[in-house]
Amino acid sequence: MRRTGSALGVVFAVFALLATAPAWAASDDLDFYQTADRTEVGTEDTFRLTVVVVDAPANAQVKLPESEDFSILSSSRSSQRSISLSGGGPAVIQDVTRHVLVMRANRAGRLKVPPSQITVRGKTYRTQPVELTVKAGRVGGAPPGQAGRGRDRQPDPFSSIQSQMQQMEEAFGDMAEVDRPTIPRGDSDLFLRASLDRDTVYVGEQVTLSLYIYSRVDLSSVDAVTMPKLEGFWTEEVESPTQLSGEQRVVDGIPYRAYLLRRRAIFPVKSGTLPITAAEADITTGFLFAGHRVHRVSNALKVKVKPLPPGGPQDMPNAHVGNWRLSMDVSQTRVELGQPVTVKVSLEGVGNVKNVTPPALKGPAALKIYDPTTTDKVSPQRHRVQGRRVMEYLVMPQRTGSFTLPALEFTYFDPRARKYEVARTDPVTITVEAGAGGASSIASASPQASSDQANEQKNVLTAGGLRPVRYQARFESPGVPVWKRGFFVPAVLAPLGLLLGVALIGGVRGRLALRTEAGRGRQQAKAARKRLADAEKLQSSADVGAFYGEVEKALHGFLEARLGMPVVGLTREVLAEKLTAAGADTERRAKVLFVLEACDFGRYGGGGNPAERQKVMDAAAAAMEGWA
Amino acid sequence: MSGYYTPEEAQDIFLKANEAYAREDYAAAKEGYEKLLANGQGGPDVLYNLGTTHLAQGDLGRAVLALEQARREGGQAPDLTANLAVARARQVDKVVGATAEDAFLPRVAAATDGPVVAWTFLGTWVAAFVLVLLWRLLGRGRRTAVGVLAVLLFAVAVPSGLLVATHAYVGATVHEAVVLAPTLVARELPQPGARSIFEVHAGLKVRLLEETGRFVRIRLPNGLEGWTEREGVAEI
Repeated sequence: MRRTGSALGVVFAVFALLATAPAWAASDDLDFYQTADRTEVGTEDTFRLTVVVVDAPANAQVKLPESEDFSILSSSRSSQRSISLSGGGPAVIQDVTRHVLVMRANRAGRLKVPPSQITVRGKTYRTQPVELTVKAGRVGGAPPGQAGRGRDRQPDPFSSIQSQMQQMEEAFGDMAEVDRPTIPRGDSDLFLRASLDRDTVYVGEQVTLSLYIYSRVDLSSVDAVTMPKLEGFWTEEVESPTQLSGEQRVVDGIPYRAYLLRRRAIFPVKSGTLPITAAEADITTGFLFAGHRVHRVSNALKVKVKPLPPGGPQDMPNAHVGNWRLSMDVSQTRVELGQPVTVKVSLEGVGNVKNVTPPALKGPAALKIYDPTTTDKVSPQRHRVQGRRVMEYLVMPQRTGSFTLPALEFTYFDPRARKYEVARTDPVTITVEAGAGGASSIASASPQASSDQANEQKNVLTAGGLRPVRYQARFESPGVPVWKRGFFVPAVLAPLGLLLGVALIGGVRGRLALRTEAGRGRQQAKAARKRLADAEKLQSSADVGAFYGEVEKALHGFLEARLGMPVVGLTREVLAEKLTAAGADTERRAKVLFVLEACDFGRYGGGGNPAERQKVMDAAAAAMEGWA
Repeated sequence: MSGYYTPEEAQDIFLKANEAYAREDYAAAKEGYEKLLANGQGGPDVLYNLGTTHLAQGDLGRAVLALEQARREGGQAPDLTANLAVARARQVDKVVGATAEDAFLPRVAAATDGPVVAWTFLGTWVAAFVLVLLWRLLGRGRRTAVGVLAVLLFAVAVPSGLLVATHAYVGATVHEAVVLAPTLVARELPQPGARSIFEVHAGLKVRLLEETGRFVRIRLPNGLEGWTEREGVAEI
């Protein structure tokens, strides 16, 4: 609960009023003049004539200009009282009353708007007439300035207001809607009034809710204000006066002081007819100890919210309604590697600033874009929420080269134009250069500059952090150990099996060979050769008989194997015949007989000479050699 | 390589996952890598990238799991070692106390490269037998060199064969795992209400000793043992 007035303030104002009362009463310095908002109009144009009276007594009577050359289409009257305290002197009170006539010329030509008149204490004052150039048809265009001043030396106290009003009307031409309150029965002296500047809007479009106290009695303070429930709206405070400040308003011909309590911008977030419940306030009236508190309830309201028309982006948020401009500012477009760049994406305009979402900044992978920080600057003007939302990105180049931040687009619905608009930015190219420290830069740098560079913040590179992901991959199925793969065990066992197989085959072949006559013969011949090899070991021994006996046995074994019959006991002639019959040539037969003779001789004491033994050995080997 | 994806498709998925990683869209990056792994077209590189993505995302358990799997499949690599070190530095658990001595065979297996010893054994074994056959076929005078070479090959094949057997044994009997759950309670018995002995946290590498029901017995590198929920750990 907040008090919007104070008893002390009222007392002070009353004393100030009493202190300045003589000056006010005695003032004859009356300002009275009239102005037109243009000097040249068409017969189909309207223009405004403003008649201003400053510090007129309450009983002064104003007579507005009347002429057959002009029609008065509408008239309005407003007044403003200001109290200024300055220089320690008495307070100066100024009452300004303004009559605004909307007029139209009835004919073309050089016409004059007749002067206005005011009668004060029997004395009549007149303004200067206002001269206008009237042309047939429509001239149009904005008024070039304050033409036809009745008193050029006198500044128009409403000129700034008029200018702002015109700007407002230009910006929000469909906005102004004068509230026409109805006086409630029973509470006619003091009532609470809630009003909207419009009651039909699009989703996301602003409606301004104003809460006024209309009073014909003195107010001491407003003790509590309960604002309506605003379900289905996003709200933004526009105006919340800390002190009661009234203005004169006439309701159904009855003058009231209207005090603004709250003004809020509300943005509907859904379509349909949205109700706004009544506001309530506890108000203390009266003066000092004579006051009493009253409770007042305002009128309820309804807002008809239209959905956004088709044709817009599918996922466009409701807050993207209004009139927006998009911009992108880059702190620098040429930067050294390792130095950051600040990019500001700004969305500026009229609408729900705090709820609007500027497009996200995207860029190539070579520019690392960090999450932005968002700042809002809301500056309502003429009860309209407007301002700027800025998303500030930190962009860190990852490598040298030229990289482009692409253009951004922001689509919104303009309720005035009743169509979707797109705000765009231009793409921005950032050139990233290698870091400083090149020969040219160092050579041209002064000692002071070198010192400055040395003191600059360095690009600190510390070990640690994650190693990057691998850029290339070899795609494999889940790894199976080599020894578990199918080929491994067979490959290990295969050589063993092969060796065993070879041995087995050799053994089988040997056995099979023994079973045939020829095979037996070969076996015997083989055994005979082996025996001869053993006899070679006895060649150098002292036992001469053993050597010759072994050679004879070997030769007998060989001959039996080849002839297929026992040969021991055969005479030399018979043996020679058998050899001949077996196909042995003469030389082989001679060697056989020679060896047998030598063995007989050696076994009985002869043949001790080593050379002789060698000769016998060689002859035996030659006899066996080559006889398959 | 024949798989679910063509090599071009697999490469495309891999590159897109890398791009997602670069723009810190870790969910998309993981999805890409896991898609390759699920279809049998992973490998140490994909596992490494998946582990790095998990690590960047702060999922320590799955990061260590994938990186350890990458090491198991592809062996050591500098980037893999570095990221595993980062993961270990982020772990909550610090195992203190004397490190329990591994049995001899697991230590031997850890110290040797399984594929290398397997291929060495196979090569020398086959070559040695080929030389034995050749020795039999050659005449007496030319057998010596072949015989010496065969003996040398057998001298290499036999110990490498023993190493292969060691790897096979360790692979079949030793199960290493990584804690995935943020916090995992190790209990005295494989029962939910059993006394809690200690807690482990995501990313810790443990050894699985035995399993019963939904509990597994884990052993820490310092020899500490306890029963914990099977779901909280994943075998490498």
